[in-house]
Amino acid sequence: MALSRRILPVLLRRVNGGGWVAPALSFSAPARALSTATAAAEPPPPASDEEESVVVKGVRISGRPLYMDMQATTPVDPRVLDAMLPFYLHRYGNPHSRTHLYGWESDAAVEEARARIAALVGADPREIFFTSGATECNNIAVKGVARFYRDRRRHVITTQTEHKCVLDSCRYLQQEGFDVTYLPVRSDGLVDLAQLEEAIRPDTALVSVMAVNNEIGVIQPLEEIGRICKEKGVPFHTDAAQALGKVPIDVNRMGIGLMSLSAHKIYGPKGVGALYLRRRPRIRVEPQMSGGGQERGIRSGTVPTPLVVGFGAACEIAAKEMDYDHRRAAALQQRLLDGIRAQVDEVVINGSMEHRYPGNLNLSFAYVEGESLLMGLKEVAVSSGSACTSASLEPSYVLRALGVEEDMAHTSIRFGIGRFTTEEEVDRAIELTVHQVKKLRDMSPLYEMAKAGIDLKSIEWSQH
Amino acid sequence: MAAAAAAPARSEVLSLFRSFLRTARQFSDYNICEYTRRRAADAFRENRALADAPAAAAAFAEGKKQLEVAKRQEVVYSLYAPKSKSIMEMKLQ
Repeated sequence: MALSRRILPVLLRRVNGGGWVAPALSFSAPARALSTATAAAEPPPPASDEEESVVVKGVRISGRPLYMDMQATTPVDPRVLDAMLPFYLHRYGNPHSRTHLYGWESDAAVEEARARIAALVGADPREIFFTSGATECNNIAVKGVARFYRDRRRHVITTQTEHKCVLDSCRYLQQEGFDVTYLPVRSDGLVDLAQLEEAIRPDTALVSVMAVNNEIGVIQPLEEIGRICKEKGVPFHTDAAQALGKVPIDVNRMGIGLMSLSAHKIYGPKGVGALYLRRRPRIRVEPQMSGGGQERGIRSGTVPTPLVVGFGAACEIAAKEMDYDHRRAAALQQRLLDGIRAQVDEVVINGSMEHRYPGNLNLSFAYVEGESLLMGLKEVAVSSGSACTSASLEPSYVLRALGVEEDMAHTSIRFGIGRFTTEEEVDRAIELTVHQVKKLRDMSPLYEMAKAGIDLKSIEWSQH
Repeated sequence: MAAAAAAPARSEVLSLFRSFLRTARQFSDYNICEYTRRRAADAFRENRALADAPAAAAAFAEGKKQLEVAKRQEVVYSLYAPKSKSIMEMKLQ
């Protein structure tokens, strides 16, 4: 396999003098013929590790780490890349150009992608508007709805575990004079429906609850929330960036009025997302981008055809593969959990286990310092907290909202399992995590004291 | 298109499956290589039970289309393969 990998690029350049040749038929025969001839002639590759190892931030890693951070982003599926490439090569037209073939074919591709995305969530294609990502969608949804109805509605409801962009948009609205209720969540991460119903006022403009939490993987009861909002006549917005293509979403069954979607969480390209806006009853928003009135005036700016086509392809694949991926993710998550728990004690799962998307496992290891654990896990790409908050030193606000103690919140690790994760990767992750946790616990005086039966909370630390 | 409704012969299906495995082996990315192999095996196993000819023919045609995608992408991935391999591949050697 290694040899053909070296041969193939050489072969391509020779055959490729003028242009690209149809892939399948022309390469299989010559590649095999040439490889046998050269196998004898070429000396074996140098055995040194030097050229293969990577030095990053002063740490030498022997190869590319195994990726278990699917909530931060996902690799682009090769089928998605295959759909996108023609639009970077010869079909580069602007979809809004109405006068020539380039524009027409680009527009047709955009509309086809729109239909695919709509089909995945049970919506009409006219209800899907392309944006630059879920963050922009959340901004349009929260600020746009509140501002449009600002004369009659002055209240917004959201939860404490929302994504930073929703919380920040709400804070922005507060500065403009809106009232915002940040609903607390239970210790398992779920919203209390009775509290939500109580919080809704006659002048509530929007209820925003995310479908699947990016940090703890908890699935909120969307159908019940949708029902409550419909009864009270309040639009229901959900940030479904982590949920799309992973759990079934039906905007009508769940009473969803607005929804934020992101491509790079379902094996699509980064830089594109979509906003779902219900037509019946029509939800109006004030646009946040001024310009030429593209996307029915909701979001001006040239629609990026290759990205949108990739998003559409990713949604089509997700629709077909949802069950298969879900079953696999559930099995792998169980394997990960069992493997870690069999060798290490005092492991706490953050968030409800029943209402969880199986590809997201957030664990806290007691008596272990979080940063040192992460530093020792350089061969596994995982994250602690969410990528959005990891720049600051404070522990994750989501875990704080769950009522997790600060020391446990600091040691949380989020394992992300996805379509391309293998059993071997999960086993290796278990091995590395357990090794690192045991090493740190051996050094930890707190663990020693806890094992001796001393209650750490009863200790009076001497002041210096 | 009426001719396409005939179910594929067993040898054709096996040949398609072998092509998938061969293409999967050639992928320079560890995760995609494993996924292609596994997904192809699971898909062929699942569709083995397909009784009626049009469904079997449709699945076969879909399989051929996916094989073309896999072959193209295998070339693209090899053109941009990173210098350092994945940790999983190195320990296996």
